[in-house]
Formats: sequence, structure tokens, C-alpha cells
Amino acid sequence: MRLRPRLQKVLSDLAGNRQRSLLVLASIAVGLFAIGVITTIYVVGPDDMRSGYAATNPPNIAVQALLFDRCAPEHIAQTPGVRQVEAVRYASTRLQTGPNDWAAIDLRTAKDLANLQIGTVTVVNGKWPPGEREIVIDQYKLPDTNAEVGDMIELETPSGKTKAVRLVGVIQDLGIGAFRGAGGFFNAPIQGFVTQETLEWLEQPQPKRYNTLLLTVQGDDQDEVYLESVAQQVREELERCNVQVISVATRSSTEHPNLFLSQAILAVLLVIGLLVAFLSGFLITNTLQAIMNQQVQQIGILKTVGARRYQVMGIYLLLSLLFGALAFVIAAPLAPQVAFPVIDFLTVQMNYIFYGPRLVPEAVIAQAVLAVLLPVSAALLPVWQGANISVQEALSGLSQRNPPNQGWLDRKLSGLRRRSLLLVVSLRNTFRRKGRLLLTLVTLTLGGAVFIATFSVRVSLLDYVNQIVQYFLADVNITLDRAYRIEEIEGLIRQVPGVKQVEGWMFARTEIVLADGSVGESVSLLAPPAASPLVKPILVAGRWLQPGDRNAIALSELFKDAFPDLEVGDTLRLRVEDKETDWVVVGFFQLAGKVSGYSAYTSYEYLSELLNQPGRAVAFRVVSQSPNLNNLEQEALGQAVEAHLSRNGIRVVDMTTGKHLLKTATDGFDVLTSFLLFLAILTALTGSIGLTGAMSLNVMERTREIGILRAIGASDKALMRIVLTEGALIGMMSWVLSSLAAFPISELMSDSISQSMFGGPANFGFSPIGYVLWLVAVSALAVVASVMPARNATRLTIREVLSYE
Amino acid sequence: MLIQTVQNSRNGRAIALPQPLPCPPGCSGEPLIRLRKVVKRYRTPAGDFPALKGIDLDVYPGEFVGIIGRSGAGKTTLVNVLTGVDHPSEGEVWIGDVPVHSLSENRLALWRGRTLGIIYQSFYLMPSISLLHNVMLPMDVCGLYRRGQSEQRAMELLRMVELEDHAHKLPSAISGGQQQRVAIARALANDPDLLVADEPTGRLDSGTAETIFEVFSRLIEQGKTILMVTHDLSLASRVRRVIRLVDGQIAEDSNGL
Repeated sequence: MRLRPRLQKVLSDLAGNRQRSLLVLASIAVGLFAIGVITTIYVVGPDDMRSGYAATNPPNIAVQALLFDRCAPEHIAQTPGVRQVEAVRYASTRLQTGPNDWAAIDLRTAKDLANLQIGTVTVVNGKWPPGEREIVIDQYKLPDTNAEVGDMIELETPSGKTKAVRLVGVIQDLGIGAFRGAGGFFNAPIQGFVTQETLEWLEQPQPKRYNTLLLTVQGDDQDEVYLESVAQQVREELERCNVQVISVATRSSTEHPNLFLSQAILAVLLVIGLLVAFLSGFLITNTLQAIMNQQVQQIGILKTVGARRYQVMGIYLLLSLLFGALAFVIAAPLAPQVAFPVIDFLTVQMNYIFYGPRLVPEAVIAQAVLAVLLPVSAALLPVWQGANISVQEALSGLSQRNPPNQGWLDRKLSGLRRRSLLLVVSLRNTFRRKGRLLLTLVTLTLGGAVFIATFSVRVSLLDYVNQIVQYFLADVNITLDRAYRIEEIEGLIRQVPGVKQVEGWMFARTEIVLADGSVGESVSLLAPPAASPLVKPILVAGRWLQPGDRNAIALSELFKDAFPDLEVGDTLRLRVEDKETDWVVVGFFQLAGKVSGYSAYTSYEYLSELLNQPGRAVAFRVVSQSPNLNNLEQEALGQAVEAHLSRNGIRVVDMTTGKHLLKTATDGFDVLTSFLLFLAILTALTGSIGLTGAMSLNVMERTREIGILRAIGASDKALMRIVLTEGALIGMMSWVLSSLAAFPISELMSDSISQSMFGGPANFGFSPIGYVLWLVAVSALAVVASVMPARNATRLTIREVLSYE
Repeated sequence: MLIQTVQNSRNGRAIALPQPLPCPPGCSGEPLIRLRKVVKRYRTPAGDFPALKGIDLDVYPGEFVGIIGRSGAGKTTLVNVLTGVDHPSEGEVWIGDVPVHSLSENRLALWRGRTLGIIYQSFYLMPSISLLHNVMLPMDVCGLYRRGQSEQRAMELLRMVELEDHAHKLPSAISGGQQQRVAIARALANDPDLLVADEPTGRLDSGTAETIFEVFSRLIEQGKTILMVTHDLSLASRVRRVIRLVDGQIAEDSNGL
């Protein structure tokens, strides 16, 4: 193909200097790649989450009630707005995971599991539906059971005996956590499915009766007000059938229970995405500036033979476009190779179905647009400057408009006479092209700052976990089959060796009564003794409970999110055990945000009185004499307490260690922190290529100078010293700047996550790991990036170097 | 006396073409180059340095002019001002009826590409494209020839400088003398009337320099005007007119003023 000489020049320039072209390509491609990965995750993650959830025909309304067999689903289906109804039975029990170890499990059954209409499940492994004396378990907490398909699983019966069922299948239930006010997906216990017959065999009372009604609606299932109004009518209908409703909750068909967490991730992604785009832009500007510097003489020739400014600009903008196009060809197919495995990795952690790799037009378009915009806009300034250079300046290399002038820094550097001359040469080289230095530093600083910041954000999240520990100070949490006198149980537990303290706590499942009289979200109401030392709350407003408080209540931060106008001193109406009661809000505390659902604390003294059970409790908190027990030691203590109570005829329905409770409360953070680590690597990669590019260009530009130095007797070692000192200097300067910039960036990222998850700003976290790792990375990169081109330069003969174009 | 005027390209105002200097013996017609009181000062950290101090010069079509002088005499500055590569600090530079001193950088580029051929001591070929493309480049950027024509013409010019067989080689694959011949071919690409050469043989051995001089002589026979800066007095003695510069002033003009 015959090309015009101008185009021929563009292509020859591209192919002629492979090292330089590869650097520019890498700079653009890494930016496009990162944007491609981020956009793919940004689009596919929530998409699959929503569509996968919607495909299960999820309930829009879930009604929890006391066991009922009246009011047939067919009857409720007649309620205006209701499309489908399915009655479900949930039963909570325990599953034996070791000789003395137990884990909580929720058993779900329906009349016809094979034909579940609402909230369908996906079979992952084995058989579905379970047959008689068989169980199928959801994949997320399957590892907690220590069982595999085919194994027998021991389940506890209400009488305290154990019965074995066979694990025949593993499913994925995308609806876990959809209607659990205080818990959500991460706090939900193991989910099992059994038939009504198995439930009967497991001695659960009235196994053919139901305690949950799942409904879908006709019409707009995204309209919250509409859903509430249908839910209210269903509640009234049920109450007309004398069904005692405990709670009613609504949710749209596309609102996956973990969508809020993905929003937190997306918020970070957005911040990182913007930073990476900036970073990439700086990289390209720097590299193209270097290219233009190398091309100055050729620009002079072009102008000498008649090329006008726009023609010169056209040549180099076309060159940048070609770089962009080639980078797109490299980055576009690579981005899905990384993005899809990341999305796949998150499917189990965040409980959604990944519908497989596919073309994501948004990602391709974003990359294509950036492939054009990034290099062209980054090239615009250097190309404009280059195209405006006069022929005389271009050919002579001397500027008449800006004659050589020694600035303050140059004079200072010249004054370093007592230092080694080679050091002075390195220092002058470093500061010679101040614009280049500035751009290199900005690029590296941003890359490094994001890298460091991700570690600090991780620490800020982990700090948060450590603060949450203050809500789980008891070593062992015991739940009994009914309320017992506190004195009696406390006395018994204290007989167990190693027990230091015992507290009886009340617990009630309540619901918020809205201003219009309808019932809203479920609230988990905990009631420790008012002066309990076992809770050290993180207060965000108001105060904590005090002895003598009557109907005082402290609310988790999630209330602030849902009811922004709710203030300390306001009254909140709750439905507790079917009675509507007013509570005075005394404070707001921070727990684990949306991960931990709506929770509230009141004093034991008041709640026990309200529930007509003064001096009695179902839940007990036990503290060991030895501080800082690990999970295993807590388990041992709990088993000892449980065994002692059993010997005395007291049945324990649940025993959970403090450490285990903490883990379930903060599981959601693990997903975020591992994701942050991935982003840290991505930004480090971008920054690394930036440094390598800048250093290589610096050395490449100095090939002639290296030749001169060699001609006057400088050894390879001396040349290496000059180049390495310069690289190390830039590396160190960028590290110092990154360290400073990491503070605001980590605050911005932490706040983005915290706003999404907790609805408030984050605690400041500081991690030395990020600083140390980036120092090591930047030093290593500075050496590698400088040594390679310097070695190449020292290998050239003096004649070759001095004739270097 | 008739005063010729032309339009100023920047503001559209009519400006007067300077009257010719007294015509030397044998000259005829209008001068191709007119320099009037041309001063060029360079700003340096040590203060302004005057490189040209009020040059008045006319060059007529078909002349082969050699400019000689010691290093620093102002030879290259004079060529740069003449070709619009550099702007004079004071004075006027006219090539034909074009006031070069008043053209913008962008207009200068196009004017230069169409009107002048410049040859440098360092050849300044584009290293990344073939010899053929180097010669085609001025035609490409100035748009005076269609694509097919420009390639044909470039081959003819390479044939003229006896480098047709090397047309598809890169500049790095040929010798210095050959590179300078390619530069001459490139300078002739748009068929300019005036060729300006700054030390064209400075980097060449005497044998190769002789070849280049022969090419120039043939071009003069074809009616071209050539201005050649040189320090080679043996070559200078063979041109029709020699101008010697000393400290930025014309110390001698062999045509005598």
C-alpha cells in the first residue's frame, strides 16, 4: 500500500523506536486496561446481582407470623395487588459440627419444595429437592458444617436429642438476608431445606403449619410506597383470619440483599477509576512530551520544507491516535480476562450468580473513548508547543524567546562544589526538565498515594471491626429454651471453673411503627443490664443507657439512614410482642452499618418489666476470668457451661462465642478488604509503568550526554551512578509526596465506603505496610527503570551515541 | 519614479517594495532578493549580541552567490533571516515581492516550502522514512503536485542526483555525500527559483564536495539562483559573486558596490 510521506513518517516513527513506542503503548494500555476492568466490574456486578435475584422471583413482601394454618395462601392471593403467595415454614435449630461444637441453622420447608414459586434456588451440587430425612444446604455457609454431599448431619431436636439427616445437595439461595432486620446475609445462620416430613421427624412442633408468608405483587414492584400499601392490606387480611403477625417487610424484585455492599465497592471503584484515568493522562502527557522533545529537529525540517502548524500537529496527533488505537487493541481483550475472574470470585462472597463472561459494551465504549481522548488530549499541549517552535529553535536547539537562564535551583545546584561532580550532574539532570519532573512526580505520587491509601482504608475498616468488638465483650453467649430466673442460672454458671461474670439479657424482636400507623422494618432489641460493662458502644450522638432509664433506647446508625429526621430526644414507636410502645431516643451508636441491620439497646430492667418477666432472662452473657481468650478457648468455656447447665436440666438452644459473633458481624468487610487489595495492585501497576516510562525516557534523552561523558573518560560505573542517583532521587521524592497525598486520598476512599455502608464518615486508619511496600516498590522500580536504558546506552560506541538522533 | 507596492499579509495594508540598489555591471531586471538595513540581535545572559549590523543587499535571478566569512561573522544568521527561519530585529527582507520580515511563522512555512529550497550542512533528512519519501515530503505538505505526480517527480529528482537506485533506502543506509544529494533533491522538490545552502559541503570530503558543486553548477545553468554559505575558499572562488562578511557587516562584494 502506498502511503503519503506524512503517514509514512507516522508509521515509521511508531515502528522505528520500539522501546519508546512500547513505553507509550504501555502507558496508555495500562490506563485503558484499568478503566476496562473497573467498568466491567461496575456494570456486570450489580447487573448480575439484580437480574439473578429477579430471576428467582423473589418475594416483594415477607410476613412473619406465629404458626398458622388458617387463612390459606389462595385466600390471601385474592388481596388487591397480590400476584402470588407461598406459605413457608422456618425452624431454627442447631447442627453438630464437631464432638462438642454446634452451629445455628435455619431450616426452611414448604408444601412442595420441588415447585417453589417464590424465591427459587439454584442447584450448585447434588440433588434437589431433598427427600425424606435428607437436607440440602446453601453454599455460603456450607464450610461451617464441616460436611460434604453424602455425609450425615446431626441436627438437634427441641427435646435436646440429635437426629441424623443426609446432606444430599448444595444450592444457592439469593434471598438470604432479604428480610432479616438485624442480620442480613452475613449474619444469617446456615440455611437448610428439608421436607415437611423431615421437619416432623425432627420433632419440630406442628410441622405442617407455617410461620412465613412470601408474596409477590402485581404492578410496580419498584415502588416502595405501593409495596407498603399492599403489605398493609395483607397484614389486615391475615389479622382478620386471626393470624398473629410478627413482622412485615417489603423489598423490590431487583434489590438483592447485598446490593448495598456492592454500592460501597462501586463507590471505591469510581474514585480509583477517576484517579487511574488522571494517572494515565499524566503518563501519556509525559511520554509524548518526551517524544516531541526528540522530534524537535524533525519539526524544524518539516517546517523548512513547507509544513504548516496544523500539518505538524496533525502528524503528531495522528501518531497519538495510533498509539491509542494500538493500546485499545491490547487493553480491550485483556481487561475482561481480569475483570470476570474478579466478578466470579465475588459471587460466593456476595451471594449472586455470575452469568458468565460476555461483551460489555459500556466497558468497550469507555475504553474506545478514552483510547481517543486520553492520548489526544494529553498530546495536545506538547504537540501545540512542539508545532509552534520556530525553525531556527528547532534546528539549533537554542531558544531565542527563552534564552538559557539559571534559576534559583540551578544556582544552588551549581554551588554544590564540595560534592562529587557526578552527584552534581545527577542532581542537575533530575531538575533540568522541571515540567517533566513535575508530571513524573504527579503520576508517581498519585499511583503511590492510592496504593498506600488502600492499605490505610483496609486498616480503617479493620479498626472499625476492632471497635465493634466492644459490643461482643462476653466470651460466651448462651440462649436457653425459655426464660429462667437470672439468679438461678447465674449461680449455676458461676460454678463452672474459669467463669468470672454472668449477666442475664433480654432480647425482643420488634418492629418500627410508622407515623401512618403501618408497621415498618424489624428491629433487634437487646437489653443488657443498664450498667453492664459488657457493652462499650461507639456513640455518634447522644448518650448511652443509664441506670434508672425507663423507656430509653439507643439506636444503631442505620436508623439515621432510614429516618434522617430522627434526633436524640425524639420518640420512636415500636411494636414489641404485639404491643405498641413509645421509646425515647437517648443516643445513636455505630455498629456495622447496613451489614448488621436495625438494632437497638434498652435496659434489661425496663424491657423485662414490659414483657412481664422481671428477674428472668432467656439469654446469658458469660465472661471468663482470663482476658483475651481466643475462639477455641471461648468454645471450650462455652461447652463447659452448656454441659453444666444440661446436667442441671437446663436446655441450651444456642451457644455462640463472642469471637464468632464478631466474625459474622464483620464478614462483609472481608469482601471489601480483599477487593481493596486487588485495586492496590492495579494502581501499583499503573504507577510502576509510569516510573519505568519516565526514567527510561530521561535516560534515552540523555544518550548523547552519556556519549560525551564516556568520550571524556567516564566509566560505565560512573555513568550508572549518575543514572541511579537520579532514579533514586525521583523515587524518593515521589515516595515522600505519595506519603503525604495518601492521607486525603485514604480519607476520601474510607469515607466513600463508610457513607455507603454506615451512612457516616469513616474513622481514620493508618497502615505503615502500604508506606513500606511502596518504598520498596518505588526503589526497586527506580533501579530497574534506570539501569536498563543506562546499560543500553553504555553498550553503544561513542560514535554511535554522538550521532544519536 | 514608479513605487511598487504589495499588500501586507498581516494587516492587508499596502507596503512599498524597496527600490533596487545601484545595479552592478551585468545585472538585468528586478532583484530576486532585497535586504534593507537588516539588523539581527540575539539576547544572551550577557546582554544583546548583534549578529548582523545593517545589511543592504540585492541578489538577481540566476546569480550563484557565495557568502564567506570567519566563524561568528554572521553568515548563518544572514541565511536564516533570508529564508525566514529567523526574524530580523530591524530592517526588511524581500524575496520577489514577498515581505518575508512581515510574514507569520505559519505563512512563512508554506511560502518557504513553495518558494525556497534550503540545504543544510547536517543534511537534516527524516531518518525514519525512505529517500523517496524524503524528497516527496515538501510536495506532500505544500500540495503543489498530485500524489502520482509527486512520486514521479521525486524519482526524477533522485535520478538527477544519481540516487534513483537507492530510492527506497533509509538515510542511514547511504553515505554523507549521498545524503547531501538527497537534500538537494528535496530542496528542488517544489521547483523553487531560489536555493539557499548553508555550508553544504562542510561535512564532506573534497571529492564529494566537488560532486555537489557540479550539481549546483548544473542548476545555475537551468536558471536557478543559489546562495551558498561556505568556508571553502576554493569553492568560493568558483562562484560568480562572493560576499565576505566581517562582524555582521558586508566587508566585500565581488560584484562591487
